[in-house]
Amino acid sequence: MTEHTAPKHTPDLPTLSAYLDGELDHHAEQRVAAHLAACPLCAARFAELQALSAGFKALPMASLGFDLAGVIEGRLAAAPRSAAARPERRWFSQWPLAIGAAASIAAGVFMGSALVAGRAAEVPRMAALRVFDIMPPGSLCIGLESCYRKESTQ
Amino acid sequence: MVDEAESGLIARAQAGDQRAFTALVRHYQDRLFRFILRLTGNRDEALDLTQESFLKAHQALARWRPEASFRSWLFRIAHNTTLDLLRRRACIEFVSFAECPGGEAEPAFPDAAPQPDQRLADRQSVELLGRTLQQLPVEQREILLLRELEEMSYSEIAATLGIAEGTVKSRLARARSAAIAGYQGLTGELRDD
Repeated sequence: MTEHTAPKHTPDLPTLSAYLDGELDHHAEQRVAAHLAACPLCAARFAELQALSAGFKALPMASLGFDLAGVIEGRLAAAPRSAAARPERRWFSQWPLAIGAAASIAAGVFMGSALVAGRAAEVPRMAALRVFDIMPPGSLCIGLESCYRKESTQ
Repeated sequence: MVDEAESGLIARAQAGDQRAFTALVRHYQDRLFRFILRLTGNRDEALDLTQESFLKAHQALARWRPEASFRSWLFRIAHNTTLDLLRRRACIEFVSFAECPGGEAEPAFPDAAPQPDQRLADRQSVELLGRTLQQLPVEQREILLLRELEEMSYSEIAATLGIAEGTVKSRLARARSAAIAGYQGLTGELRDD
């Protein structure tokens, strides 16, 4: 690769390369054009860059050979809709959900407090505890003799 | 940056229209595949990576903003996806794909359609240039592909590769210099000056 050390060869390789791509500003472009017209060494270098660029455009253009879009469409249809594909949710769009949840909680608290405050909330004495009474429910006794009135026949 | 029809498709795709996204894929599929194929040198891998890139793009589509070039954004996804694979293959620093397991020195392009060229008209020159490109480091190869084949501006290349425009300018010059030297090395016309 040619290295230009003489002061008159101001366009370095990045500048020549950018000139080729049309990426220099107007004044820089004019300076390089003027230099190339007067400097065969830089002109030859620039011709190499041009030839390389043209050569790349002549490279074979590979193609898929099938419709990948159809494959991707099938994969997307099979997959559940991703979060990214869904439109972004704004905070205010959550309001109906929040109001519904709050109303459910309030209704639950109201019904619960009504049960606790009223007489209905009193715990009835459990009939099952009656087994510890002297006389079990129904006055049935399953074996204690004291349960039965003994009629004296005497 | 993005023409009206394309921005319409992107907006519809962002709203969840999968047919609009499919149309975008159809528009870019060959270009993205070509770029990835030139980076990996392997057709099967390039097919997989192209598909993976589009699926990633679909997932990330909600985050795309019209201020950015859609093409740069898409190629950036492809660039990252491909580099991940090359890193896994530990071939990113390899000079030649011929030395890389699974790599191909000369990728096959069965459906190639060469275009005539004034300067490098003969087939041998084109083949040599293809080999020269494959022998360049990935960093230089991809910047040449984006500029020469995709004809991206420096700002688009900067956005695609995530580098400064000044870096694009210098890296592209180095890549061109290396390509010229590589080509001349293959043809035996390398000069010492």
